Amino acid sequence: MNQAAEHVRPEGSRGSGPRLALALATRLFEDRVAVSSLSITLEPGRIHALVGENGAGKSTALKMLAGVLAPSSGGVLVDGEPLAPHAQAALDRKIGLVYQHFMLVDVFTALDNIMLGAEPVRRGRLDRATARARAGAIATEAGLEVRLDSSVSELSVGEKQRLEIVRVLFRGARAVLLDEPTAVLAPLEVAELYGTLRRLAAGGATIVVVTHRLDEVVRFADEVTVMRRGSKVHHESLSEDSRSGEEASVLLERLTRAVMGDEPMHTLTPRPLALVAAPLLELVGLSVDNAGSVDNAGGVDNAGGVDGASGAADGSDPSTRKQASTPKRRPAIVDVSLAVAAGEIVGVAGIEGNGQTELVRALAGLVPLAAGMVRVNGDVLFTPELAETTAVRVTRARARGLVTVHEDRHAEELVLDATVRDNLVLGELAQLADEGATQARRLSRFAIEPANPAFLARQLSGGNQQKLVVARALDRGATVLVLAQPTRGVDIGTARVIHQAITDAAASGAAVLIVSADLNELRTLAHRIVVLRQGSIVGELPPSATDEELGRAMLGSRKLPNSELANSATPKSDVRLGNSP
Amino acid sequence: MSSLFSVAMLAETLRISAPYACAAVGGVWAERAGIVQIGLEGVLLSGAFAAVAVAVASGSMALGLAAGVALGVGVSMLHATLVEKTRIDAVVSGIALNLLAFSATRLALRALYDSASNSPSIAGFRFGPTGTSGTDMLLRTLLDPVTVIAVLAIAASPFVFAETRFGLRVRAVGENPTAARAAGINVSRTRLAALAVSGAMTALGGVHLAFDQHRFESGMSGGRGFIALAAVVLSGWRPARAAVLCLAFGWLEAVQLRLQDVSRGSSLATLTQLLPYVATLLVLALGLGRRAAPAGLGRHAE
Amino acid sequence: MSAVAARLARSLTPPRVRVLFAIAGALLLLNLLSWAFGAAPLETLAEAYSGTWGTGYGIGQVLFKSTTLLFTGLAFVVALRVGLFNIGAEGQLGLASLGVAVLGSRLPANMPALVAIPLMLACAIAIGAGYAGLAGVLRARLGVHEIISGIMLNRVVDVVLPWLLVAVLGAVSLRTANIAPAASLMKLSAVVNSLAGSAASIAFPLAVVVVFATFAWLERSRVGREFAWVGKSPSVCTAQGIDVPKRRVQAMLLSGALAGLVATGTVLGYEGAFELGLGAGAGFSGIAVAMLGRTSPAALIFSALVFGTLAQAGLAINALVPREAMGVLEAVVILLVGAVAIAAEPETPLTEPVAPKVSAP
Repeated sequence: MNQAAEHVRPEGSRGSGPRLALALATRLFEDRVAVSSLSITLEPGRIHALVGENGAGKSTALKMLAGVLAPSSGGVLVDGEPLAPHAQAALDRKIGLVYQHFMLVDVFTALDNIMLGAEPVRRGRLDRATARARAGAIATEAGLEVRLDSSVSELSVGEKQRLEIVRVLFRGARAVLLDEPTAVLAPLEVAELYGTLRRLAAGGATIVVVTHRLDEVVRFADEVTVMRRGSKVHHESLSEDSRSGEEASVLLERLTRAVMGDEPMHTLTPRPLALVAAPLLELVGLSVDNAGSVDNAGGVDNAGGVDGASGAADGSDPSTRKQASTPKRRPAIVDVSLAVAAGEIVGVAGIEGNGQTELVRALAGLVPLAAGMVRVNGDVLFTPELAETTAVRVTRARARGLVTVHEDRHAEELVLDATVRDNLVLGELAQLADEGATQARRLSRFAIEPANPAFLARQLSGGNQQKLVVARALDRGATVLVLAQPTRGVDIGTARVIHQAITDAAASGAAVLIVSADLNELRTLAHRIVVLRQGSIVGELPPSATDEELGRAMLGSRKLPNSELANSATPKSDVRLGNSP
Repeated sequence: MSSLFSVAMLAETLRISAPYACAAVGGVWAERAGIVQIGLEGVLLSGAFAAVAVAVASGSMALGLAAGVALGVGVSMLHATLVEKTRIDAVVSGIALNLLAFSATRLALRALYDSASNSPSIAGFRFGPTGTSGTDMLLRTLLDPVTVIAVLAIAASPFVFAETRFGLRVRAVGENPTAARAAGINVSRTRLAALAVSGAMTALGGVHLAFDQHRFESGMSGGRGFIALAAVVLSGWRPARAAVLCLAFGWLEAVQLRLQDVSRGSSLATLTQLLPYVATLLVLALGLGRRAAPAGLGRHAE
Repeated sequence: MSAVAARLARSLTPPRVRVLFAIAGALLLLNLLSWAFGAAPLETLAEAYSGTWGTGYGIGQVLFKSTTLLFTGLAFVVALRVGLFNIGAEGQLGLASLGVAVLGSRLPANMPALVAIPLMLACAIAIGAGYAGLAGVLRARLGVHEIISGIMLNRVVDVVLPWLLVAVLGAVSLRTANIAPAASLMKLSAVVNSLAGSAASIAFPLAVVVVFATFAWLERSRVGREFAWVGKSPSVCTAQGIDVPKRRVQAMLLSGALAGLVATGTVLGYEGAFELGLGAGAGFSGIAVAMLGRTSPAALIFSALVFGTLAQAGLAINALVPREAMGVLEAVVILLVGAVAIAAEPETPLTEPVAPKVSAP
């Protein structure tokens, strides 16, 4: 089983990491070419960035390097020798992958997750003491703070990511490959992550990061490879000089052009001025409990029994299944008051897990209010007094012209195994007079590709799925638009088209609330940005606010040490979609 | 009423509970590994039949015990293989295996013993005093090798789950097969191994049943696999609690037997048979002690 | 070996071809069994054929057995649309059959068939739907999984039926009194003489019509389309304003109603009374029927006929091979169909996510 043992260097986890290479690697999915004849070499001791638009093939390339995807043709070389396409083979060759969607067992402790698959055993028993000592030493050395004895479901996103890194190091990885590691991190956390990666690289490890954030590349990477449509289109080494000042902006410009290719650069039409108008959407002293607390009538699976036993028949996305019991019951939203006027776009910023998800879900009617009220156009939409089922609330919100786009596309927006045609009118069968015309109009709005309504939603790329979702939402004549991460996972070109459409909607009189992790997006669109921290609005800033100003509001005024940073984000772990009490 | 809590009742409860507890802990093993197992009934029957058939043929109860456990492991692993390798729906496979075990054992009764309903009788294990006092009954029950093995296996299960590499991996593939595979664990192989344990545990219950009745009867599992399943769910997929619940079910059944003795065929006695089912429905409906199922139950690695 | 089989299966993707696989496997097993029981394999086959499709009586009996399976198969399909496993059909049809028989036996003698029969159908539907609705409500409102509740509710019926018959109705032989003649359904042999003596009644054409109508409704109606969406992603449907608990309960009600209609073929069309064990097992066989034929009405009817033939053939060959062999056969067919159906899905590489999760972490 351990034929790769001969590759294990005597010095153990010390010393230089492996040199990784793709040699003319091609990967097909069905008929689609994800990566085409790609050759790259990644030397140890450096931080390599793989960048590109959505669907450029960067994640596929990374997964081939990590042995979890086999190339359709061509090869993966580790120190010049071919790599067998198994996760275990890659682990044996000291390659560790940190997935974008964490591969953690939620009910296990962090420590059990770390040792899973490489458990030290003494006299037939798991040797947790040894594992704890080793994991602790690794974490300390790499500057990663993880609460080893906490259950994963209690950890913040950032902490889970640190846990994943500790885990691959625990497995002896000397090449650490990370897929979009910063997509969910706050600015400060991003800097900390790269600090860790820098330490590892300095110790000789091979670091590969897939990202779509070019500013990160400029600030932190040693080498960058730009991919477009499955091929390498640009590669360069970065020096310390190029990280700041004039050089940095030139570099950023160069990388942007490489990423975008020949696509023309758009600029957003100037956003309309906020009129002095009566507020369309009003939140008055709004409080929301964590989702687990009430409402069994919710439509989401809340079975205590063998849920998922129906297997393939139950199409609910596994990611929506959450634990039933949560250790803490902290309110998700606390006393939030906010008014959005017709024509106004208000952005909501905050570190992931500070109540954004609950805010959007509460406005959509998916979770009941604990206190306060929501008014649309002056009329009460929700109050906590009404004991209503989820379905009643959601239906009323929709009927009153409150249109929501949720952040979790697969759990709340698209029935992946239904056709595009069906998805274009999901939940509106009772209201639509001419279904066919509506479908045609929505399909063409953002030029969904392929424009075949008989395709399954699953067969669309992530970007096209998002186009479908946004096209459907914007076509419903919204009075109030509540959009969460409207362009997450969408390439730059499409994002611009969507931004324009949102701006147009506001210009024609809708009140728009946008929650986004992308501060640039908020700055581009919003008239003002409110910051959510621990479920409360802690500040309101103009769109001209800098990353640093926003970041300070998001994190609180003083700079928090790691552990507190983690705590500040814990509500996320308590957030459960429609579970049982 | 004191007779409901006598030593004799205790012995009776233990005797009756053993097959339930074995099947329930077997069910916990399967479902903690993420494989829905409603085929416990079939495994019980297979185990009981193989034990009797081999005991009749060889005259050795120990060989019968081994054969029963072996066939149980076989049927259980067949279930796991079908689910993991051919991706057949686990509920469908479980129903089919129940039907298969029921029909095949009847067919084999015809073929081997030319009987539609039961096998020739066997001795079973006989240890301990032969008297009819409560203490004697209890001693006999406690000295029964099948019971002893069952109790040891049940008692070891929580430890194995919590403290061994195998247990950790079984729980991992049951909670999140995708993550387990990413950690380099062979999900299918781990599930097969867990189902082997599940089959052995459950079949042990079948062997107990057959040896206790001193023969095999067609359909002798009599829905015990389903009651065990109820115990699995009620316990929150925890082996020790499942076993304790089965003790309670066993006591109920013992009480019911007493009641039947007192007033033969009364409505009351018949309706007490409903108790485990109704109790399960009520407890689930009221959400008492409900605990989330393993998150990866019925899911494959992606 | 399994890889070869899977590849072979994949080359024969059309669903109808899969069925051939299952039937071929079943025939092979039947031959082996008859050989084991000392009967000439061909003799068994010939006996099986003449007992089923070889004579008018045999055909009638197959249609009779298939009637039950059409209803239970369809019942399973409907629940599966919303992602629920109605394995409680067994209990639903048992309770409905008893209820129909009791009501039928107490109808006034002069009630015309035009009133009596709709009343019987309504009773079957109401009891079946009611009992399934219980499982539906438990699932949709209280989060009790329908597989667990279905098993428990089935067991409750197992215990309650004999008690009702003996203790409440005072039946001596676990059988109700006969139903009023006006409530019984016409035998098919009254129309097609060659079916004489068989148990087939107009419940069979009724079942066929119900199958086509139900499928059409599922595909075209608003509620039917929403059923399918709910089955594929309940969380999305909730967020998009579809009342998921309501749809689930509705589907279970419909499913139970269909299971209850089994009584048309058994109580009203054949026995004229309820007897313990009448229609038993059809609830589970219906799952097999649905697995094989859930894609279209034609497939479902074909599938019901296949399993109906199996059941009747078991009785036909009983002199040569014990009829329990057919139970074994049925189980093997279920497993073969299940296994082949899945193996014939397009191959996905082992290390590739089947459904990439793009949800926010």
